[in-house]
Amino acid sequence: MKQLRKYWAIFVVQLLNSLAYPAELLWRSLAILLFMLVFTFLWRATYGSNQSMAGLTLNDTIWYLMLAETIELSRPRFARTIAEAVKDGSVAYLLNKPYDFILYQLAASGGDSVFRILLNALLGGTLVWALVGPPPGLPGWLLAFAAMLGAWLINFCLTALIGLLAFVTEDVAPFEWIYQKMIFILGGMLIPIDFYPEWLQDLARALPFSHLMYGPAKLFVRPEWGAFLELLAWQAAWVALLGGTLAISYQLGIRRLAINGG
Amino acid sequence: MRELRFLLSLWKTNLLAVMEFRVSFISQIIGMMLNDGFYFIFWVIFFDRFETVGGWSLSDMFVVFGVTATAFGLVSFLFGNAFSLGDIIARGRLDYYLSLPRPALLHTLASRSIANGLGDVSYGILSYLVSGQSTAGGLGRFLLAVVLAAVVFVSFLVIVQSLAFWMGNSTAFGQLMLNAMITFALYPLGMFDGPLRFILLTVVPAALMGAVPAGFIIHLDWVNLGQLSLGAAGLLAAALFVFHAGLRRYESGSAIQVEV
Repeated sequence: MKQLRKYWAIFVVQLLNSLAYPAELLWRSLAILLFMLVFTFLWRATYGSNQSMAGLTLNDTIWYLMLAETIELSRPRFARTIAEAVKDGSVAYLLNKPYDFILYQLAASGGDSVFRILLNALLGGTLVWALVGPPPGLPGWLLAFAAMLGAWLINFCLTALIGLLAFVTEDVAPFEWIYQKMIFILGGMLIPIDFYPEWLQDLARALPFSHLMYGPAKLFVRPEWGAFLELLAWQAAWVALLGGTLAISYQLGIRRLAINGG
Repeated sequence: MRELRFLLSLWKTNLLAVMEFRVSFISQIIGMMLNDGFYFIFWVIFFDRFETVGGWSLSDMFVVFGVTATAFGLVSFLFGNAFSLGDIIARGRLDYYLSLPRPALLHTLASRSIANGLGDVSYGILSYLVSGQSTAGGLGRFLLAVVLAAVVFVSFLVIVQSLAFWMGNSTAFGQLMLNAMITFALYPLGMFDGPLRFILLTVVPAALMGAVPAGFIIHLDWVNLGQLSLGAAGLLAAALFVFHAGLRRYESGSAIQVEV
């Protein structure tokens, strides 16, 4: 319980920190308006006079993309922070602190994400409402936001694993770029997976990226209990697998750490 | 001529600096090429299902992507500080450049090379070559269009980043404008209409970085070349004007001794 309070305090401090520069938070969040404007023009031109494609209306597709974009723009990007700590050796100074380095990152990036998610959803949602009509009902919001917690944890594990690659490689930036593009394509961020050829749908659904992006976004426009429970099971399995890999990788990395002087 | 020699020696020094860590240098270039390639899969999937949008096909998108990525990469590698000019201004780090007998803006912009820009350049050229529309004449048009698109892009960055003279810290605003430019440049112009289309040719001139140069390359459209040349010249003049107007408001950061 004491352990939990410690990380909760880190979460709260970071939550308040994220509000320290409200103008900057707002400028950063305005990006969602650009993306939703582009998506709306693209899909309007694509739908033309069609009412529905791949089981989705134009309204469904744009609201799906709004939630997907909210997840993408709000997800913490701390891989380079971890990588820098590993490369410049400052991770060594963190080892004797009374907290676990990975759990510290978990709490801090959690605090960082909350207002970003809310602001992106608010701004993006307002624009999309004006462009294509009202959002899905309350069940969609509730199930999608519940599923976003699992999505956030999968992203956390993958991002931290990329950061820890600094133990074995000079530069982790290319891995970050490619991870982002995996989310874009195999996660279904730029285009709902329902529009893919079947073989690609099967591939995408078997990988973690779709469970952190497509899963919550599809639930938002098609809230179904069966799909929700299935997604939670997938997310739990991926969090267990990736979380375990992360814990082992961190311990192995720390053992490799060579500390010179100081 | 004197300034060109100065630029060439700066770029040579920058190249040697980014090549100091060979593995990182190569991984940045290959990583960026893979990054661009993965991103383009979106259009492959999209056009596999829909064939055309706003009159543009997959083959056209290869050209749009090619010219945009090459222009972006050129600016990243040759004028890498264009992305952080606002930060340099806000922190008073222009002092270093102002104290030397070279044009301050040119010197500042060309003092940093971003290695992954070479990955964008390589991918962009490859994208044009595999578009199915590459010919000897087309390649000449591609090179001309890329240079003009790069002028548009670097001028736009200078204008946006120079707002730091008035706004102070404008990093988030600069990032937003960069996002706008790149996002809109990578989509077919045909799908935008009304006031937004006008904005994309003027205020956020993304069309002058993607669709307009691509139109000139694909269709040998002289109107597109006229728009592009006029846009590039106008934006360059505006960039010089805004930077020098801002410079009159600049307050020293007492950082003359700092090696930037």
